[in-house]
Amino acid sequence: MNDMLFQQIINWLTLGCIYSLLALGFSLLFGVLQVIHFSHGDVAMVAPFVALAAVQALATTLLGSSAWVVLGLACLIAIAVVGGLGVALDRLVIGRFRDAPAMMPLVATVALGIVIRELIRHLYPEGSNPHAFPAIAQGALATPFGAVPLISVVSVLVSVGLVATLLYVLHRTPMGMRIRAVSQDRETARLFAIAPGPVFRNTFFIASAVGAVGGIFLASYAGVVRFDFGVQAGLIGFSAAVVGGLGCLGGAIVGSLLIAAIETIVQGYVPNGTSYRLVFVFALVIVVLIFRPAGLFGVQKVEKV
Amino acid sequence: MQTSSGSDRLIDRAIVITVTVGGAALLRHFLLAESWITVLVLLAVFAVLLVTVQKRPVLEERLVSGFRRSRALAIAVGLVIVGIFPWLLNGDSYALHLLIIANLYAVLALALNFQLGSANIPNFATGASYGIGAYASALLAIHFGVSFWVCLLVAAIVATTFGFLLGLPSMRTRDSYQALVTIAFGIVVHQLLMNFEWTGGANGLVGIPSPVLFGHSFNDPITLFGYSLPGQGNYYYLSSALVGLAIVSAQRLHSSRVGLAWNALRDDELAARASGINVTWFKVQAFAVDAFLAGFAGTVYAFYVSFISPDNFTFLVSVTIMTMVIAGGMDNVLGVIVGAFLLTMLPEKLRAFSDYRILFYGLVVIGFLIIRPRGIFPQRVRNHEH
Repeated sequence: MNDMLFQQIINWLTLGCIYSLLALGFSLLFGVLQVIHFSHGDVAMVAPFVALAAVQALATTLLGSSAWVVLGLACLIAIAVVGGLGVALDRLVIGRFRDAPAMMPLVATVALGIVIRELIRHLYPEGSNPHAFPAIAQGALATPFGAVPLISVVSVLVSVGLVATLLYVLHRTPMGMRIRAVSQDRETARLFAIAPGPVFRNTFFIASAVGAVGGIFLASYAGVVRFDFGVQAGLIGFSAAVVGGLGCLGGAIVGSLLIAAIETIVQGYVPNGTSYRLVFVFALVIVVLIFRPAGLFGVQKVEKV
Repeated sequence: MQTSSGSDRLIDRAIVITVTVGGAALLRHFLLAESWITVLVLLAVFAVLLVTVQKRPVLEERLVSGFRRSRALAIAVGLVIVGIFPWLLNGDSYALHLLIIANLYAVLALALNFQLGSANIPNFATGASYGIGAYASALLAIHFGVSFWVCLLVAAIVATTFGFLLGLPSMRTRDSYQALVTIAFGIVVHQLLMNFEWTGGANGLVGIPSPVLFGHSFNDPITLFGYSLPGQGNYYYLSSALVGLAIVSAQRLHSSRVGLAWNALRDDELAARASGINVTWFKVQAFAVDAFLAGFAGTVYAFYVSFISPDNFTFLVSVTIMTMVIAGGMDNVLGVIVGAFLLTMLPEKLRAFSDYRILFYGLVVIGFLIIRPRGIFPQRVRNHEH
């Protein structure tokens, strides 16, 4: 196999997996709460900043431990914190628009995204500047086709593992069953003694924590993170979820792989591709929605009167 | 209504004059406020007024019916205030600049209101239509020396064409999917403007000549009775006329079959379709009307600042316009204008907080959404009395 092609495939898989982690949150939240959480990308990009801060705090307290242990612990802390942040945002802001027309929570979460970005900028030391983010894995794996960066291996393996766990939780545990019940029919779920409140909380925690993993990988893959990375991360995650069909988790993954594919191809093979990257990505989004108005795997809702 | 006595009419008139003059005075103080304490106090006054009205529906009803009965007086007072307002700003050209930008955003918000408010079609591409209008007229003026007035029309037609192009694919999609189509369109337009060579790339276009009307260049100050208004005064009246045009179109469309059809498909698309309304056609029409007005605003903006770059027309601009409509009050012309004015001026007046103003802006938007969940001036039930 051609070496360049192999590298492109690796890039594609890595990006696709990272995007899936972001897209899953959008899809899950929409499926359960019927809400577009527009600040989800910003919430996810809080994680790398928390991790950076935790690395600094841990480095002084856990003197002597290896750098990997510190970084790993810091990432776990960041994931838990961001999960909690999601729940808190729901309680403070998003939950107030539960019965409002769909546009209200949309605009409220857009404003929330602004607030989150600005808070990072002000609370984090030198928040306006880009911060270097350490690679979660260094080195490369030698394979018969060529070298594979270890960070790609870790990203792909963790993403696959996380998605598998998520599907297991949703389909094989009582909590997952409650989440699916509420997403199918909130009223009927209530009749079966499933209180929506805790289900919403769990969903927000899961979606935000999974997004946090995506945010950390994105920062680690790019090597830097800045307070406003959440805008694009959110737009791409949202696009992937919609292209796949909102509320359909498999669709979100396929959508992410599709968007990552077009991005990789354009960057690798189109002249001046890096600047036209987003044009192609969003043109693809339009084309897909022209032919599949409810996304690739979304079911076109047939209305009954 | 016919039984209203003479004293009632008097109270109506008092209400109209108090509210309009009071509103204008509030706006003037807000514009000229130097210290951030004044800005916060004025904001607090406004919030308290809103909370009072929210808590006392009777009061709200009284105000609304007062305005409804004394329409002619309200319009006359409003026109006079718009006419003399810039002369009362002590020649503060920055305040005048803010007013012009607020006027342009009011036009954009009213344009979006046709879709979002009347027909409940999410559109995150108003900023893109605004940009298309601005670039179309800037290119015409720079390369072909076309006059402002011709540009105004041509740019609006170009923007409308793109509005149709955007409307067509979105006919089949709905809700969040439709929102994404418009987001994607906006980003594609922005990225193309950013990368094409003939649009000047990220540097944009410079040196757009200023318009001339009957030999009076828009750069020259207006002089009247020995008083003089800086050159921006010309653009103030131009943009105010544009707002007037948008208001009149909004009113006319609202009371026409088109407005009724839009409202019908907002309330229940299926029922609208069953009643013989061509849903697709009316949706595309809403896109076209939005793009037309946004194109107008774009042209005025381009000629006013004489320099445009893709950064003036980003996704966040569309989001801001969307916020203005929703925070102001969907399908309520006055609410949309108040929303546009408030959200344009707020970040500028919060400059005292320098770095924190955007944060504050986000918090204020969320706060207003929570205080008045249906917007500052919620949409009214259609008035079928006349």
